Amino acid sequence: MNAVGQPLSRFDGRLKVTGAARYTADISIQGAVHASFVSSSIAHGRTTAIDTTAAEKAPGVLAVFTHRNMLLMNPTPKPWSHLHPHGQSYLPLQDDKILYADQPIALVVAGTLAQAAYAGTLVRTDYEVQPPVVFGSQTLKDAVQPPQFLWPVSSSVGNADAAISASPVRMKQTYSTSDRHHNQMEPHATTAIWDGDGTLTLYETTQHIFGCRDLVSIVLGIPPEKINVVSQFLGGGFGGKAYVWPHTLLTILAAKVLRRPVRFQLTRAQMYSMAGHQAASVQTIALGATIEGRLNGIRHDSISPTAVSDNYIEYAALCARSLWSATGGIATNHKIVHVNRNTPTALRAPHEALGHFALESAMDELAYATGVDPVQLRMLNDTEVDPDTGRPFSSRAMRRCLIDGAARFGWEKRTPEPGSMRRGRYLLGQGMAGAIYTHWRWPGRARVTLNRDGSALVELGTHEIGTGTYTVMQQVAADALGLPSQKVTVRIGDARLPQSHASIGSATMANAGASVMLAAKAARDKAIELACSGRGALFGDANIDDVIVRDGRLVHAKKNLEVTYVDLLARNNLPSLTGDGNYEPSPEGAKAVFSFSAVFAEVIVDPDFGVVRLSRFVGAYDCGQVINPKTARSQAIGGIIWGIGQALLEQSETDPALGRFLHRNYSGYLVPTSADVPKLDVVFVGQFDEEASPIGAKGLGELTAVSVAPAIANAVYHATGKRVRDLPITIEKLL
Amino acid sequence: MHPFTYSRAADPAAAIAAHAQDPRLAFIAGGTDLLGLMKDREAIPDRLLDINGLPHMARIEVLRDGGVRIGALARMSDVAADEEIRRRFPVIAESLLFAASGQLRNMASMGGNIMQRTRCAYFRDEDDLPCNKRKPGSGCAARYGLNRLHAIFGWSDECVATHPSDLAVALSALDAEVVVRGRNGDRTISFTEFHRLPGNTPNRDNVLDRGDLIVAIEVPHRIEGRASHYLKLRDRESYEFALVSAAVAVATNGSRIGSVRLAMGGVAHKPWRLTAAESALRGVSLDDVQALRTAIATSFVDARPLAHNSFKIELAQRVALRAVQIAGARA
Repeated sequence: MNAVGQPLSRFDGRLKVTGAARYTADISIQGAVHASFVSSSIAHGRTTAIDTTAAEKAPGVLAVFTHRNMLLMNPTPKPWSHLHPHGQSYLPLQDDKILYADQPIALVVAGTLAQAAYAGTLVRTDYEVQPPVVFGSQTLKDAVQPPQFLWPVSSSVGNADAAISASPVRMKQTYSTSDRHHNQMEPHATTAIWDGDGTLTLYETTQHIFGCRDLVSIVLGIPPEKINVVSQFLGGGFGGKAYVWPHTLLTILAAKVLRRPVRFQLTRAQMYSMAGHQAASVQTIALGATIEGRLNGIRHDSISPTAVSDNYIEYAALCARSLWSATGGIATNHKIVHVNRNTPTALRAPHEALGHFALESAMDELAYATGVDPVQLRMLNDTEVDPDTGRPFSSRAMRRCLIDGAARFGWEKRTPEPGSMRRGRYLLGQGMAGAIYTHWRWPGRARVTLNRDGSALVELGTHEIGTGTYTVMQQVAADALGLPSQKVTVRIGDARLPQSHASIGSATMANAGASVMLAAKAARDKAIELACSGRGALFGDANIDDVIVRDGRLVHAKKNLEVTYVDLLARNNLPSLTGDGNYEPSPEGAKAVFSFSAVFAEVIVDPDFGVVRLSRFVGAYDCGQVINPKTARSQAIGGIIWGIGQALLEQSETDPALGRFLHRNYSGYLVPTSADVPKLDVVFVGQFDEEASPIGAKGLGELTAVSVAPAIANAVYHATGKRVRDLPITIEKLL
Repeated sequence: MHPFTYSRAADPAAAIAAHAQDPRLAFIAGGTDLLGLMKDREAIPDRLLDINGLPHMARIEVLRDGGVRIGALARMSDVAADEEIRRRFPVIAESLLFAASGQLRNMASMGGNIMQRTRCAYFRDEDDLPCNKRKPGSGCAARYGLNRLHAIFGWSDECVATHPSDLAVALSALDAEVVVRGRNGDRTISFTEFHRLPGNTPNRDNVLDRGDLIVAIEVPHRIEGRASHYLKLRDRESYEFALVSAAVAVATNGSRIGSVRLAMGGVAHKPWRLTAAESALRGVSLDDVQALRTAIATSFVDARPLAHNSFKIELAQRVALRAVQIAGARA
């Protein structure tokens, strides 16, 4: 039986729920001391004096670092690259500048964490204060065109503006999304250990061990071969742990100066100001269409804030380039506003989750303007060719998503008139949205070792970010080797293993998974080779294509011969056989590769109180081949819940005078509880996509967090007749 | 965290004496609020005195008049599950069950619940932000800052915070009494007098002095008690403080309101008793929605919104109306 396609429970599930899985901060190192930040109480200006005298005399304190005595670092590399990604180019404790609220201004190291934190409260700082620049209606006018960061900043196919103005149905609206924070349950943590020979071991909460290694190498001037980075379990990454943040670099330097292992962990509050966030967006969408709802033109423009020191862009308008076709043209553009805040970064479903809220809300408005059913409207504007590049899609099961999703939801029973459906005293609303998600093709290596006892070891430098990586890699290797999956052990999360890519962009299954398959096949082929030509040449001069592997044995059906891996290795007196996999996809193929979905939401709204609760949700996804339906479903329900938060709850508000994020904890920053989440119905409708990956998979994780918000917003409109164009949809917006 | 010592109190008199003499000492019971306050440095005691071992302070007893006496160390979950409480004062059980989470309710004490401090984000931040409650004289950042969750009644320019306890709203509606043991013996404080408005001393949440120990909460018999309800409106379905809440208890004559007790949470620095509405509601038919609405509105003429919470004025009236209707239907 194939392991791929089976709903295996995750191998590490028991380890996690029993506490046996050791997360970064759980790994205790002999002799480690503890570090804690003192941070700026102002958002803009500079420090004029930092008095550390009392802190230095506090119990247990070993050192207090400020910009006066911290070692200097090299600048972060330009241009920015995923291969050695820094989260923020401005590095604190290098000068007296204050560019954002809660910027670290001192690092206290002491025998215990409590001693370090307490001593930090004794540091006295004087500032020269300047008013902070914050993102808001007053600063939108200061938006500038940024340099390219990931995709081109603007795009234009055909003549969108002309097509829109010539259309009989036209609409133009502004939509906005809020600043959001990752709020991983596990705070960012670093333990830095320098050995006598100048090698550095870093236990790091990272989704990108090699990128971390190489960025540390560049900024701190350490040869990469002298650095190892370990990350074996991650308590949530969501993009926020894919980049190297200043605390990691400063911890390494403190350990170097003190010649002792130093352990550091951000406090919950510091997670809001020192390790990225998703920037808000203000997006304008103009649509032109025929009276039948066929799109003639789309214009999608977005403005988002970034830090003074960086040009991070939320590519919110990206989705408009490829989601629907428009006969006359599509134009998109992005601008940024530099403000006093820490640098924004990728947060689960960056770009797309923001952009789809605007685009798919606008599509719903168009459905009402034309009287075309929202599902039909999307059918009408579906396309087999990527409008942006003219390339055919490798696979695009959008119609299947729309049809199957609508059928499971019971969309045909919906009456389109707003306010026309009720449940008791409550208004009932049903809304839907489509989605497209970028598929990344990244190189990666893996090694698979077949052992003499009939087991196999898979090794690669990827990460377990909570998604089930250990288990799905086990499944891929098991099938390629013809072994039961429980015979396969997976080792990941250590930069001494074969180099893999960052676990971001929903890319791990398709890319790291492909490298595992290639490595397993290489090991298998060595075994077949051995069976044909090794000692005794069991299969004689067989054609290796005639040999299959199953149940831990090689089988030559034509000759009616078979041998187990155990016997084969014993007979040849080999302890093991090793296969190397080197997956090197071309970044751009002949076809456009994307994942797709259609999602359907039902809400009930209390008309007196403006309270919205999600009552049902159906998601239909095209992510190519599903490797493990159970972990895939877990990804999907996690993504949907993430989207519920975006739609109804999450917002990091900035105090306009203080220029700082408020509500810096789970008590004030609301995410959904179990009581906010109804039964979630998830279906996968995709097919094996060879263009996407040799294992047929396309990205899934982030796709599932996309378009939840517009589906809910559209359902709220259907329930109440109120179009909320600003997330989250809180009570007062419906009163 | 500020360093502190920890010890256990053996008898109330010694505990009270220690608390009276030592301004750097804090009582700890469930600790569910105090530990958070200490981590974020809103509270920086040098010494914690654990009062969980004090005798006879966790009981729930029915009083001779049909009221109840709830020991200050009774846990929220135990009180919420108590049959007598559920029967005599559903509003109390409901206010407890809609608060916090199961884990917190198992730890948190009744005395500690009414001593909770505000959830104002400026007060609760890990860093010192301008907050007169946290540091007198430092200003109120919420007054002209982000104040969606803040007060619409009784606030001052020095503080616009709200009181977070759900239980306190129910106890205020029922005119409960707080039994306090101090240096000069026991005294009772009427619940509506227990919490303070901020004025120019918002650092003081209530009228307790050093050396005061809450030993019990007494709820006298109320004819409205059985037909009572706590309605809590919040941004998410569970584990969240009230945006606006209402505690209502009603006695009826046929379909008309005979007498009603009505208090609201999430609107002021203390549970806000709607005395004008209570008078105006007397004699109103529970079936006459417009009359109920008009009567409730009499308590909102002095509501004063801040920049981001004007919606609460209308919302609170709708919540009060629904709560009166639900409680009335139980009569």
